[in-house]
Amino acid sequence: METVNDIRHALSARSRTATLEQLASEGRKRVRLIKAEHVAAMIAAAVHAAVDESGLVSKEEADKLVERSRDEFRSLMRDRQAEVQRLAEVEDLLRARDQEIAALKAQLAGGGAGVAGAAGTASAGTAATAAAAPEISAALEKLAGSLNDRLEKLGRKMGISAAVEGEEVKFDGLFKDTGKSLESNMENIQVKQKAGGGIAANLERLKKLKGGS
Amino acid sequence: MTQHDNHGARSAQKQADTDVALGKGLDIGTANFAAAVQNEDGGITVTVERNAFLDIPSDVYSKNMLTKLKVPYVVHNGKLVVIGEAAFELANVFGRETRRPMCDGLISPNEVDALPMMKLIISKILGEPRTAGENCYFCVPAPSLDVDNNVVYHQGLFESMINKMGFNAHAINEAHAVIFAELAESDFTGIGLSFGGGMANACIAYKSIPCLSFSVARGGDWIDKNVANVLGCPRSKATYIKERGIDIRDPKSREEEAVTIYYRSLISYVLTNIKARFESGQNMPSFNTPVDIACAGGTSLVGGFIEVFREEFAKIDFPIPVGRIFRSEEALTAVAKGCLVAAAIGES
Repeated sequence: METVNDIRHALSARSRTATLEQLASEGRKRVRLIKAEHVAAMIAAAVHAAVDESGLVSKEEADKLVERSRDEFRSLMRDRQAEVQRLAEVEDLLRARDQEIAALKAQLAGGGAGVAGAAGTASAGTAATAAAAPEISAALEKLAGSLNDRLEKLGRKMGISAAVEGEEVKFDGLFKDTGKSLESNMENIQVKQKAGGGIAANLERLKKLKGGS
Repeated sequence: MTQHDNHGARSAQKQADTDVALGKGLDIGTANFAAAVQNEDGGITVTVERNAFLDIPSDVYSKNMLTKLKVPYVVHNGKLVVIGEAAFELANVFGRETRRPMCDGLISPNEVDALPMMKLIISKILGEPRTAGENCYFCVPAPSLDVDNNVVYHQGLFESMINKMGFNAHAINEAHAVIFAELAESDFTGIGLSFGGGMANACIAYKSIPCLSFSVARGGDWIDKNVANVLGCPRSKATYIKERGIDIRDPKSREEEAVTIYYRSLISYVLTNIKARFESGQNMPSFNTPVDIACAGGTSLVGGFIEVFREEFAKIDFPIPVGRIFRSEEALTAVAKGCLVAAAIGES
């Protein structure tokens, strides 16, 4: 039937409407009429004939192709209707959450005023939110995991994080031969010393930043 | 009460009397070691020693001469090994190259037998811990943008070495230490740059928290290597030319011209890499107000450094609003000072 409708639309788009008077004024006394269904049937017959003549596809295969196309079309229609349905549900959920947020804001702002009025709406929103809770918590867990990974990587790059110290490798073995005293005059040598500015101001600032006294 | 407890109590009392914070800061640099400690006058004392050695044949005469001249040495594997600044001076006199235990900011794979000497120098400049397990924060470089390096071995090795000396060793990023030393007035928010011998390290921090840190494997040694190549002289000689007090805005000879060219190239390279890294946008904070850039490190000591840095900075479209650009007044010791601040506050 879709084919008939399509043909009807195509005919409508490519034809003009004229009154009987207009036709008479054009000198036409009789007109021939044809139904859109017949046009569709003619087109289908013409296509089949053309396909038959081409010898590329048998009539049975052509029929199968037409039927498969129709099935495909119906399947797409069903999918699209399901999407529209899901969209409507998500919109309902969003509306419910908006209402819940508005109710909570009113509760916070008014110190309880208007809570009773908003309670009904909020409970409806809560029910909707409860349905979405597993999805939200899964998303939050994923986000937390991703953040932890990034923090760990950052800490390792900085060389200051617990992550670096947590992966401590023991290098003590490298110094097993250095414990013995080497002959040296180092103890009698004075090394160069420089005086530098104090660090009291730096420490004070850091303590303030850390919230200490 | 044990002897250890007595020692701890005395130290605590001493700290209360003098308000000297416990903790020591150690800059383990490719070119220099520096150890910082707070003194009783409220200032800090920084002990610096060059991270270089020179082997000379061992005989009684040489040993006596070195002792008379107060040149530090170690007898190692049957050789006299002159240590530190004296090794650098002797190398220049004899036209030789010093041995360098570190390369590009990390322990050199070619100098693993230099560990006992490094341990001696570090032990000498750090001294004894004032309490058992006194905090010692030492700097480590950040991973490099331009070479594939790994700081795990380097960090673990020095951590073990310092722990064996009786300290409680903690690693801190080198450029983060610059922020602790130089950006107190900005609440430790801004960019710290450490131009060292082997690397240039960068760190951007917000209220003392490092947001991003990285390094490029070019520093003073890269300048020395290239200057030595074009002038046909040992690297020690190139280092000497660089450190004898030249101004890179006004080179006076062909040698100084070579140093100037490579200095400008280094600064441009570092800035371009920093810009590219900041623009990549990963882990980047956004700042509402301009942030300061503090430069430090031995390589920034050359005359005209900060002026050339500002000139090169003006040529690039830096992705972050920047306020002051300045060089630390204590450029050579700023990293050690920053490590000391971290040690005193117990930053971890």
